[in-house]
Amino acid sequence: MAYKIFGTIDVGSYELNLKIYEISAERGVHVINHVRHRMELGSDTYETGNIGVRMEDELCGTLLDFKKILREFGADEYRACATSAIREAHNTPVLLDRIYVETGIRLEILSNAEQRFLGYKSIASNEERFRDYIAEGAAIVDVGGGSIQISLFDEGNLVTTQNIRMGTLRLKERLTEVEERTVRYASVIEELLDNELKTYRKLYLKDRDVNNILMMGSYLGNINQFIHEKQPGENKFAKKEFLRLYDYFMETGNQAIAQRLGIPAENGTLLTPAMVIYKRLLEETGAQNVIILHNDLGDGLAYDYAERKKIIIPHHNFENDIIESARRIAKRYRTDHAHTHTMEKMALTIFDKMKKAHGLKKRERLLLQIAVILHDCGSYINMSQSSECSYNIIMASEIIGISDREREMIANIVRFNSGDILSFEEVAAGSLLVQAEYVKIAKLTAILCVANALDRSHQQKIKDIRITFRDEHTMNIHVNSLEDLTLEQSLFREKTEFFEKVYSIRPVLKIKKAV
Amino acid sequence: MKDMYKDPAYYENRELSWLSFDERILGEARDKTTPLFERLKFLSITASNLDEFFMVRVASLLDMVNADYQGKDISGMTALEQLDAIHSRVHSMVRLQYSTWQRSLLPGLKQAGLTVIQDHRKLTREQAAFVDDYFMENVYPVLTPMAVDSSRPFPLIVNKTLNLGALLKKKNEKDAELEFATVQVPSVLPRIISIPNREQEMHSVILLEEIIARNMQKLFLSYDVLCVHPYRIMRNADLTIDEDEAGDLLKEIERQLRRRQWGEVIRLEVDKNVDKRLLKILKKEFAVKSDGIYPIDGPLDLTFLMKLYGLKGFGAYKEPKYTLQPVPGLSGRSDIFEAIREGDILLHHPYQSFDPVVDFVRQAARDKDVLAIKQTLYRVSGNSPIIAALAQAAENGKQVSVLVELKARFDEENNIAWAKMLERAGCHVIYGLVGLKTHSKITLVVRREEDGIRRYVHLGTGNYNDSTAKLYTDMGLLTCAEPIGEDATAVFNMLSGYSEPESWNKLSLAPLWLRDRFLFLIRRETMNAKNGEPAHIVAKMNSLCDQEIIAALYEASAAGVKIELIVRGICSLKVGIPGISENITVRSIVGTFLEHTRIYYFLNSGGEEEVYMASADWMPRNLDRRVEILFPVEKEELKREVMHVLDIQLKDTLKAQVKQPDGSYAKVKRRGQSALCAQQYFMEYAKRLNKKEEEPAHGRVFVPAEPM
Repeated sequence: MAYKIFGTIDVGSYELNLKIYEISAERGVHVINHVRHRMELGSDTYETGNIGVRMEDELCGTLLDFKKILREFGADEYRACATSAIREAHNTPVLLDRIYVETGIRLEILSNAEQRFLGYKSIASNEERFRDYIAEGAAIVDVGGGSIQISLFDEGNLVTTQNIRMGTLRLKERLTEVEERTVRYASVIEELLDNELKTYRKLYLKDRDVNNILMMGSYLGNINQFIHEKQPGENKFAKKEFLRLYDYFMETGNQAIAQRLGIPAENGTLLTPAMVIYKRLLEETGAQNVIILHNDLGDGLAYDYAERKKIIIPHHNFENDIIESARRIAKRYRTDHAHTHTMEKMALTIFDKMKKAHGLKKRERLLLQIAVILHDCGSYINMSQSSECSYNIIMASEIIGISDREREMIANIVRFNSGDILSFEEVAAGSLLVQAEYVKIAKLTAILCVANALDRSHQQKIKDIRITFRDEHTMNIHVNSLEDLTLEQSLFREKTEFFEKVYSIRPVLKIKKAV
Repeated sequence: MKDMYKDPAYYENRELSWLSFDERILGEARDKTTPLFERLKFLSITASNLDEFFMVRVASLLDMVNADYQGKDISGMTALEQLDAIHSRVHSMVRLQYSTWQRSLLPGLKQAGLTVIQDHRKLTREQAAFVDDYFMENVYPVLTPMAVDSSRPFPLIVNKTLNLGALLKKKNEKDAELEFATVQVPSVLPRIISIPNREQEMHSVILLEEIIARNMQKLFLSYDVLCVHPYRIMRNADLTIDEDEAGDLLKEIERQLRRRQWGEVIRLEVDKNVDKRLLKILKKEFAVKSDGIYPIDGPLDLTFLMKLYGLKGFGAYKEPKYTLQPVPGLSGRSDIFEAIREGDILLHHPYQSFDPVVDFVRQAARDKDVLAIKQTLYRVSGNSPIIAALAQAAENGKQVSVLVELKARFDEENNIAWAKMLERAGCHVIYGLVGLKTHSKITLVVRREEDGIRRYVHLGTGNYNDSTAKLYTDMGLLTCAEPIGEDATAVFNMLSGYSEPESWNKLSLAPLWLRDRFLFLIRRETMNAKNGEPAHIVAKMNSLCDQEIIAALYEASAAGVKIELIVRGICSLKVGIPGISENITVRSIVGTFLEHTRIYYFLNSGGEEEVYMASADWMPRNLDRRVEILFPVEKEELKREVMHVLDIQLKDTLKAQVKQPDGSYAKVKRRGQSALCAQQYFMEYAKRLNKKEEEPAHGRVFVPAEPM
């Protein structure tokens, strides 16, 4: 049996996790070791904005030990990722370098959107009943130390996902002083949280039916075990069962309940904020059932690896989720759906025919598609500065499954589509992007421009295109249309100059007036 | 739990219960049906046991008294009350030890052809000459005589060493004051010296201290030696390290080792005919209380009897040597991993050889597919093949992690030395856990195989010590079951300082879960009994003195659970208390091998019978202050084997003694049952298991077929 041993290191805000997986087509993704080290990295970041020396030392020491454990299981490869605790620290670059020098580990910083997408991926591939749950109207809620992520599903599709920066550890850190001064600690947490939750509800939750909450977060396993003491293996409980536990919790107090739930004292510090968050989420969403998920970032990374190595063929199309979530953003900004739809088809046709010329892969195709979908969202704010506005909207939006760099690439493609094309030096200032990515931006922008030119009138006069190459410097775009294409034709030359500059191929519009 | 089961009247003090265990061993030494030389061994064991008992338990009670600690034990006694009771009991026990030696063993030896000369004045002229030569040649050069006077302070007398004290007087000075002198009987020389005996043509031996005593004059030439008497002291040796404060555990223990010699004297053994003036000096210098002084009628420190046992010859007076049996299923196989893959393997030492356990580590060290070896080591032998294999594994590029328990009593020095050796070889060594002793016996081998990672685990009830594995009865399990492999990995994660796993599959660990697990298992039987279902507990362990467990057993007994306990040593549980413990029987087996297996059986009516083995006894220290592992034996065939072991032990009529309601132990009344010695049985049984395997499918007798 062919199999791979893959390791994942997750540097979370209050815990370092090492998971080692055995991955094979026959048995799927299977955890063989899970090592956890409790360490509240986030409390430094959220409080001071920096990770202190002692935390750094402990982090490096633990990572070094993790490497040893990876060897103990003969891991073929591993991936080490960090989330908000390091993402939000000011000293990140120096810290990452120190980690590399001391441990040889290249720690990747995941954007929230990437992190959540990975988490989501592992759920969808792991949980057999996932389809049933989301069919009934569901939310996946991932309560972390730094933030809460809420993803809404409708009719089996991911509708929206939103990040609320109020995780258990962050709440606790914000209220450290309050905790000592008040006996109403829980209600203070609730107040602080409510403000954010209300905004969220107004924007996203109205008219939505959320029946099930699929929840990930600390202590949920213990809570579930407590509720289902006599039915091991059950991972679903009703809202009222949780609320009963919550009331008992409030009466009995943190420590006593931690003991009842079997949580070691040193790990129980986040119990109160976690309980309050869970309760408020249940109330706000109106969900009746809670389904406990045991997936974590490591599982997501392992699935991602298995998929990339083609060991596992996913039965859920995750690309669709990314595209769908981009469409939702476009819809929010009232873009012209018909126009976008036509453009998508043409842009992708050109992309596919140009493979030899651009040498780009599937992932870039996806970026192009998202750029098309979002290419006109800025008009919602200001039509005369639509290109800048689109850029800003995209940069401020979270598109699930898209990393920060990819998002910036999309934003630039969109910006260059209707605005000036900036040089790499201009783009690079204050940016994450490197030259190679700039080249990709240019290549994709060129295609987007051609596609845009083909539906200049936004009337979908051209429905289908066919591409042929006359010679190595000329690409013929054949269209069949009975409509008047004067506008498209006249502006085509101007709009496709950039394409010619990038690829040294001149696109020529060949119109055939026939059906 | 109702407090009615915690009444101090229902509990026996653990120290006194331990003394009755040592008395049972003494009973074996006094038993005329035991071969003569085996009796020497038992007597020697009672003496070394007592030494350890004083150093650890009595010392710790003294600490409590010194600290004015007023707390009471589970039987309601204060530390002072316990000390008083211990001393009065030990005094009579020591008298019994020496009367056994003088009246029974010594004459017996003479009959068997061995004369032990206890008084140098009884040497023949020829022997005396031999002894004096021996003294000058071998002994004199290594002696360090020390006299005490105003300019020379009282010297340091080392813990547990044998010494000769003497009173001296300057020659030719009539009014000279008496002076005290002392000389240590060198431990580098053999204590027993064979001497010629031509007259009787017998094997004769004399003790080293007698040779020195005879020649004392040669050490103090300008003095007259008025008297010479052997004496020996025992000091407080309990290592109580405050682990929270010791930054570097290793250094702290090294420091404690040096300090140990300076401990308070808690026992002084001295020749019963000692000169009063000499005794006065010793008493004053060692600041020892009257009840801590033990007058001895015979040679001090009876542990030399173990050496006497080792004398060549006298085979007729010893148990025939037992050949360790190979483990069926493993013999003749070169690949232990393959054998384990075919099915779990149960090991029963010392009836079966310990080699498979050593081989397990050795093969892992050499096997190209093995990635990592992890092991906990508590006490290992001096020249341990396991340590060598682990070092070899590290050199072969395996990831080797070893948890070395430095706090294993009296073994620290040894442990530090080889722990450092392992580190040099490239092993990752964990020097114990702060505040906890790691007593569990577990080995994990991670192997990369064709169809995935496979974990092989050995779990045992006894230490990874190939020497004691020949003397202690223990059981072990070799398995590659995935749930246990997962748990074993989690155990080592925890031992490396990482968080506990979200859940356990099969193992229960102390100090976090084990107590609750045991209580759950006991109470489940109680519930069954209350519901009118059959309920039965059989538990075999070394010691039982945990109050909560005992109370749960009382409650179970009261509910009608049949409880059969096989407890070798301390048993604070009292049997036959009306309404409390009438359904409980306790038996103790003292035999050639030291009973060490821990097995726990629960009938679990309505489900599968459950059989567990563990590294833990039912003692507070095992359940609260140590890392211990309880593991189930689940394969039906192996479960039957383990239950068979319990069953045979419960049927022992020769070496078993049954605890009586008054706390004493009595031999089993056979009542028509055939005589059975469990240890003898297991020796035969282990041989039989191998025979069974070798036998061809067809016997030598042709069996006519029955008509259909």
